[in-house]
Amino acid sequence: MCFWKKAVFPFLVVCIVALLLVISRINPQLFGQGWGLIALVIIVAAIILFYWRFEQRKASSREVAVVAVLGTIAAAGRIPFAVFPSIQPVTFIVIVSGYIFGPQAGFMAGSTAALVSNFFLGQGPWTPWQMLAWGLAGASAGLMGKYFPTAGKTCMTLFCVVWGYLFGWILNLWTWAGFINPLNWQSFVATCAASFWFDTFHAAGNAVFYLFFGPSFIKILRRYHRKLKVVFLPDANCAHFPHG
Amino acid sequence: MYENFFYQDKGLFLQSLHPAAILAYLCILLVLALLFSNPVYLVGLLLVLVLNISAAQGGEVWGIYLKIGLGFALPIIIINALLARGGETIIWAGPNIPVLGRLTISLEAICYSAAMSVRLFIVISIFCLYNLVVHPDRVLALLSRFASKTALILSLATRLFPSMVRQMANIQEAMMIRGVDFQTGNLKQKLKSHAVLINILLLSSLEDSLEIAEAMHARAFGSGPRSSYQRHVWRPRDSFCLGGAILAFGLAVCAQITGYSTFEFYPRLGCLLKNTMAVFNLVFIVVFLSVPAVLSWGWRRCPYFNAKI
Repeated sequence: MCFWKKAVFPFLVVCIVALLLVISRINPQLFGQGWGLIALVIIVAAIILFYWRFEQRKASSREVAVVAVLGTIAAAGRIPFAVFPSIQPVTFIVIVSGYIFGPQAGFMAGSTAALVSNFFLGQGPWTPWQMLAWGLAGASAGLMGKYFPTAGKTCMTLFCVVWGYLFGWILNLWTWAGFINPLNWQSFVATCAASFWFDTFHAAGNAVFYLFFGPSFIKILRRYHRKLKVVFLPDANCAHFPHG
Repeated sequence: MYENFFYQDKGLFLQSLHPAAILAYLCILLVLALLFSNPVYLVGLLLVLVLNISAAQGGEVWGIYLKIGLGFALPIIIINALLARGGETIIWAGPNIPVLGRLTISLEAICYSAAMSVRLFIVISIFCLYNLVVHPDRVLALLSRFASKTALILSLATRLFPSMVRQMANIQEAMMIRGVDFQTGNLKQKLKSHAVLINILLLSSLEDSLEIAEAMHARAFGSGPRSSYQRHVWRPRDSFCLGGAILAFGLAVCAQITGYSTFEFYPRLGCLLKNTMAVFNLVFIVVFLSVPAVLSWGWRRCPYFNAKI
């Protein structure tokens, strides 16, 4: 019963997206030229589902505070590096956070960093895409930490490089889906080619950050991750007098 | 520079709207911008946004947003103009590029590029308007009803961000006094000095996070269902603005279904306004969406009107 109650919300979200897709097939003109609206709906639905999943689990005050602080550090990291084009430590900080604290904390830190930094740097149509891209970077790093906890420096550096390009490609989707015609692989390649140097700088920056500071960041975060796991032992007096 | 983008309370009419009303209004504007491809309808939406941004006294910030938009518009114009092959009025036929195929520029593709650039500026202007009139705290308060933990994380991060930026400036100053030069050296040296800054920030902030957690624990975080207190009052002005937006949305959906607001770019340019109904539709959509700007004008000039809404 509890499972069904919990499954209602994600089921409704998926149904709404599916309904929009069906309507777009029946009457393509209804949603206008391109896939801008449908793509935005899918992205927002994906973010809502990730947040909904986080709401469902029990999180301690320490977990909430650490996730908020990690998201803020990643967001604040955008400011001193604003002078370097596309070289920002956000992706690196989010990946390292996800790797240590797990997929959900990684997603929350990444999406929080995007949303909060844009309150100050300017919200734009790129915000939901940045939230999803950085969130996925954190979540995938969390999975990496879960299934490959002994991943070495080379492996993690490559992971950071890959996310430098993936982040750019995910962000390219909003211009491609909403403003480009025709929507084929040639036009997507052209859109990615337009941002190639920015993505390359981003990927190179991630690799440099990880090579120089990855191990020290991981050491610090691992120490705080251990501090999160506090177990309250039953009080000896209460154990003797449970009703007292 | 960063203060420009953050919400500044100017006591404006648009800033006094209920967060749910203004968010719904902005969402409808965004949906309509992505729905319409007819250039005249897009220009109509841009006009509504110009009225609203001037009512929000945000000309300066809008200028910055338009400059950012220009950076996005350029690749959109180039890619659309070169890769679209549906147009019949060929202006220029270029070479055959291995991956992209034969490059051609047609009149229809240029018109499509121009229309999409207008759409891009509309979308960017909607977010500019959001920055000008919606306080992040009011949205987060609204969100706390449905997603308390998420709202708490976002509220904490929004609060911590300015103090962390100040803390970062303090650390930078302390490092400069100790002889670290952030301005000179090659890219590697600059990156290294800036990343050390982030390292110190990480250590001190994580210590602070434990104190925040203790404070939350002391205030009974997680001990039971969370209560929430809403201070926002739903007033007639909210109903007017939301009502206008819903009517405009309904008309837009009808116009899309009947084809009044659609426009064919390929293979040849279609008619901008097919009949008088298309004109009426456009006028009514613009009028309904202009309700907040018109109310804002009346709110500033007539105290009686101000008291009534």
